[in-house]
Amino acid sequence: MKERAHSANPAQAKRWARRLTLRVKEVLAAHPHADPDNVRHTLILLEQPPLERLQRSLIRGRAAAIFKK
Amino acid sequence: MVVGLSAATLQGAPVVTQDVDLWFEDLGELSISRALQEVGAAYVPPSNLNPPMLAGAGAELFDVVLRMDGLGTFAAELKNCVDIPLGRHHLKVLSLERILASKIAANRAKDRLTIPVLRDALAATQSVKRRSKRQ
Repeated sequence: MKERAHSANPAQAKRWARRLTLRVKEVLAAHPHADPDNVRHTLILLEQPPLERLQRSLIRGRAAAIFKK
Repeated sequence: MVVGLSAATLQGAPVVTQDVDLWFEDLGELSISRALQEVGAAYVPPSNLNPPMLAGAGAELFDVVLRMDGLGTFAAELKNCVDIPLGRHHLKVLSLERILASKIAANRAKDRLTIPVLRDALAATQSVKRRSKRQ
């Protein structure tokens, strides 16, 4: 899925979303008990570079910890 | 080796974490203390009150792991790592399958929350790998 969710072109964004939905369905067909949200978020994250995935996770994790205190 | 949820997130799992867990084969290795010195940090061995830790501003995101529940030795698990490029280096990152195995074995309340997410992320990543092999 080369066209990203944040594409500036609405037509591209729609194509990307359609492809994403198809991919989610494909995974769910093989793993019917999987949560569609988890699958969708994973597929979206796999489009990001690994370091960006980690950075996002740390920012959210640390922010959540601050709010807990 | 990067382990825990930070390793899972590097592989696409939609989970959040507060730190990067590092598992070392030998904490006494000179290259570790040199790397820590470079960022103004130091290794603090475990005591009665504290687990082993890395201290100093340059190391605040990192935690030291001495053993992993449900897994083999460091050398054995090294075979279950994926290499993730990071600038000039390649990170050794424990595979999603083995992270899931360690969370199932640890079975703490916080692990039980992440197990289904890791399981689903594994299904999605395996599907992506299969698809890219076909293409």
